Amino acid sequence: MRARVVWLALLALAASTGIAGAHHSFSAVYDGKRSVTVTGVVTQFRFVNPHALMTLEVTDKDGKVVTWVVEFAGRLNLSEMGWSAESIRSGEKITVTGNPTHEALPRLAFQRIVKADGSELVPAAAQRNDTLEEERRERARRRTPQP
Amino acid sequence: MKTLLALFLLLALPSAAAAQSPLQTLEGMWSNPPTTIIGQACIFYCTDALIDRLNALLDDPANDKKPLGQLRSDASARERAFIESRLTAAARETYPLDPADDPGLLRCEPWGLARQMFAPHQLEILGRGRDQIELHYGEWDARRIVHMDGRARPAGPATPLGYSVGHWEGATLVVETSGVAANQTQWRSKHSDQLRVTERFTRAADGKTLNLVATFDDPWSLREPLVLKKIWSRAPASQIAPYDACEPPPSVKRGVAP
Repeated sequence: MRARVVWLALLALAASTGIAGAHHSFSAVYDGKRSVTVTGVVTQFRFVNPHALMTLEVTDKDGKVVTWVVEFAGRLNLSEMGWSAESIRSGEKITVTGNPTHEALPRLAFQRIVKADGSELVPAAAQRNDTLEEERRERARRRTPQP
Repeated sequence: MKTLLALFLLLALPSAAAAQSPLQTLEGMWSNPPTTIIGQACIFYCTDALIDRLNALLDDPANDKKPLGQLRSDASARERAFIESRLTAAARETYPLDPADDPGLLRCEPWGLARQMFAPHQLEILGRGRDQIELHYGEWDARRIVHMDGRARPAGPATPLGYSVGHWEGATLVVETSGVAANQTQWRSKHSDQLRVTERFTRAADGKTLNLVATFDDPWSLREPLVLKKIWSRAPASQIAPYDACEPPPSVKRGVAP
């Protein structure tokens, strides 16, 4: 498998990360202003509290295999979104986007996963955004006199 | 005669709903706030300063094109200023605390009361016999006991979650806590062991949400009482899972705002 490590300079808000709202502020560990995308093979997914953790093997452009760690919200949070210990399986190939650590360790705070079949996993905050934006549009409609 | 007796009994018996004790209206599992703009703004805690500001921004047509995150940031800034205005000079010396100094992050140290009571996710309320109510939080799997038998706090050292006594005011559970060891608050200040907290838990009329209004008094950190709010939604299917895999992070950076 060929590595694909893409560094993106996104203005990602902390609220859109997968571990916001968890038991500690993520800003001391992760850089909420940048996102990184890696593709690799999952070796473990631990559906635990306070944070679920995934490891995946990523082959870099020199052919070296590097173990990356991805930190998620906790099982408390993920289970309420319908996740389970089987949501990510060892051996499956995935592409994960997340906030890198300040020291650029091979570690990410989860923002988005795209599986081999094209299905996506996103944090609860991202799932809720559509509902909140609809509420906002409804508030605007209510204050606008209807013809 | 039998018919008259049956009719009398029927009228004398309260309806099932009216027969519910105050505890029964609060008992059970509650979790994340409603998926509304205000609900999500209160996922940890919120103040009237934040709610009023956010509502004003949302009601202003000039803001319709601005990202919601920008409006939330504006309202949060208003809230921080509101809270800071209530802090003593001693508390302002370290306010806001650096996230990198969080003992929960650095050492997996469970939260003290002034953070735990605003934990996101589950809160399970359980009756424990006639005289105790248990508040069981998903975050940290923390448990608080509220003594409902009118006792006073016994002498003893302060503890992270303090000593709680409670009573009912109608359908509102009022919990008063003292004996809390000095620690950090959810609003990123320090507090002393003189902290006293009064929590008022009330179920909304529709039964779908649980509202908390908490008043904090601490002569060391607060110039005047600070009132914070929180909302949970009824979540009967939610379960509290083991909280046994905390690991300190590999590295932290100081001076980065949340």
